[in-house]
Amino acid sequence: MTERAQVFSDATQSTGEAIILLESVDKYFGDFQALANINMRVGLQEVVVVIGPSGSGKSTLIRCINRLEKHDRGRIVVDGVELSDDIRNIQVVRRETGMVFQQFNLFPHLTVLDNVTLAPRHVRQLPKREAEELGMKMLERVKIPEQAQKYPGQLSGGQQQRVAIARALAMQPKVMLFDEPTSALDPEMIKEVLDVMVELAQGGMTMIVVTHEMGFARAVANRVVFMSDGQIVEVGTPEHFFTDPQEDRTKLFLSQIL
Amino acid sequence: MTASDTVDIQIPEESLQPIEPGLRGWAWVRRHLVSTWYNAVLTLFMAGVFAVALWWVVRFLFVTDFEILRVNLALMMVGGFPRDQLWRPSAALIITALLIGVIAGMATASALERARQSEVEFTAAGPLTLVRRFWPLLVFIVAVLLLTQTLTPWLIAGASLVSGVGGYSIGRVLPSAVRRFGLVLVVVLLVAIYAVLSGGGIGWDQWGGLQLNVFLTVAGIALAFPLGLLLALGRRSTLPALRVASVAYIEFIRGVPLITLLLMGIFVIGFFLPSGLRPGNVTRVLIAITLFESAYIAEVVRGGLQSVAKGQVEAAQAVGLSPWKNMRLIVLPQALRNTIPAMVGQFISLFKDTTLVIIVGMIDILGASQAANAQAPFLAQGLHLVTLPFVGFAFWVGSYTMSREARRLERKLGVGER
Repeated sequence: MTERAQVFSDATQSTGEAIILLESVDKYFGDFQALANINMRVGLQEVVVVIGPSGSGKSTLIRCINRLEKHDRGRIVVDGVELSDDIRNIQVVRRETGMVFQQFNLFPHLTVLDNVTLAPRHVRQLPKREAEELGMKMLERVKIPEQAQKYPGQLSGGQQQRVAIARALAMQPKVMLFDEPTSALDPEMIKEVLDVMVELAQGGMTMIVVTHEMGFARAVANRVVFMSDGQIVEVGTPEHFFTDPQEDRTKLFLSQIL
Repeated sequence: MTASDTVDIQIPEESLQPIEPGLRGWAWVRRHLVSTWYNAVLTLFMAGVFAVALWWVVRFLFVTDFEILRVNLALMMVGGFPRDQLWRPSAALIITALLIGVIAGMATASALERARQSEVEFTAAGPLTLVRRFWPLLVFIVAVLLLTQTLTPWLIAGASLVSGVGGYSIGRVLPSAVRRFGLVLVVVLLVAIYAVLSGGGIGWDQWGGLQLNVFLTVAGIALAFPLGLLLALGRRSTLPALRVASVAYIEFIRGVPLITLLLMGIFVIGFFLPSGLRPGNVTRVLIAITLFESAYIAEVVRGGLQSVAKGQVEAAQAVGLSPWKNMRLIVLPQALRNTIPAMVGQFISLFKDTTLVIIVGMIDILGASQAANAQAPFLAQGLHLVTLPFVGFAFWVGSYTMSREARRLERKLGVGER
């Protein structure tokens, strides 16, 4: 175990084996350093909430985990598979990680059910009937099975985001990545999405969540990670983090949002 | 800011108020036609213009002697097709009607089935809807029939109608298991059409008239579309060799006039091929048209590809879709849907550009019009005034129908609404 990982494990509540490991990860966009020496270890069934000001690298961090962004230095290992330029490794990792985007990114030309069954059918090669059974089960899990035959454009933002969660879950991933899942929603719809996420967390899903919803962090996070300027500034349990932050930058950020 | 500072919102004067819906009769006229003195003048002026235009059209239709069209109708429709073999295009027409009927029937059947599954209301279009949808085409067919001198064309039209309706009924009752192989049926019918048209030693090179224009358009689209799609994908490829080749091809072809390509097709293609393999003139023209159109279609498709949001690709990547499936299932369906307006514009252009084949000595419908005016009984009588409007009308019918159908397809696929 590296020195940094040791530091983090102190704040880790779950004692399970690591499923995601980042070691000295750097990422540049041109001359701009988006991630600087990121070290992180996420245990099985752990819920990690990443917070920080905009432009701090939170989204880039989780987008590196399923290789939507390519990291420039360091290692990223997901469920025993190290991300490299090898497309097969990338595909394996993507199959094991579900992702939910801020803008939902549902496929507008497919029905809700087709959105959900697309990956099971074309990546897992399930027969149509089986995929649709699975898809309906996932839609029930996010509580909108009655919308299965509609198109995404006919749904509210909250419903769309729940479909997006069902779409990710349909691949039965080991890890779920959430990139500001409620930031594009009207206030009255945030709760229905958060409720689904809380249920997922309580069901034992490993989750990394980039969010500004501090209530969610308090309720279900095992650990809160605070990022600023591409670095991890502070890590801690929610109680520790919200009541007794150590770093000045953390205190400043919390004073601005709470 | 105190309360007295607030801006007093005045009620706008009458002409700036929103127009109340459902204005009828005299109130509508007053509001829309004569609301001010200059509007009244404009209304009167435009009414005059319309009246004169209408008068011209009516006079043209009732005073003109259509003898030149009556005598040359076959020339206009099929060009130099051997006159003792005219049953061939007639039979092809009847099979085409059957083909269209079968496709429409199968499409309706599967739409009904899908509607039943998702519990959406859906009623198949009745004959009246079809008449409203394709009235320009109907007007053209009636016009052509009125110009005929024998009963045969009426019989052919009747037989086509029967065959179309028959095909539709067949398509409707085919069970969905069979419908899956509908493409096979379509191909068989297409081959039958080709076999009938070119049997008895009649090659493409004897095709002409409107038939040639329609054939070059349909075949040009069918060949140029896949090629254009590949070029567009090539232009966005990460492989430099593929990308450079695609860009070079597209930019070269787009820099050359179509007429130049047609002339090259006729005079240059022959040089490169051994004499046994030299294709006929229509084939050469078709090659030139395909090469030309594919470059433009590639650019249209590229625009469509760029219109697909980056998040769509990322979402598909995130669930583990391979790059190829990502393109086929996510990007292309959305990209092509977005290109419908531009693509149909391209197809309409192509339809009209097929008249350029008269440059290389082919008798398409425009060539037939020229030829008719060169015949002894009609020479130098200013009868272009009769033939050219007819040619124009034929192209307008085709173009306007394409445009209307495209708009329908757009609405159906919900372009512009996300």
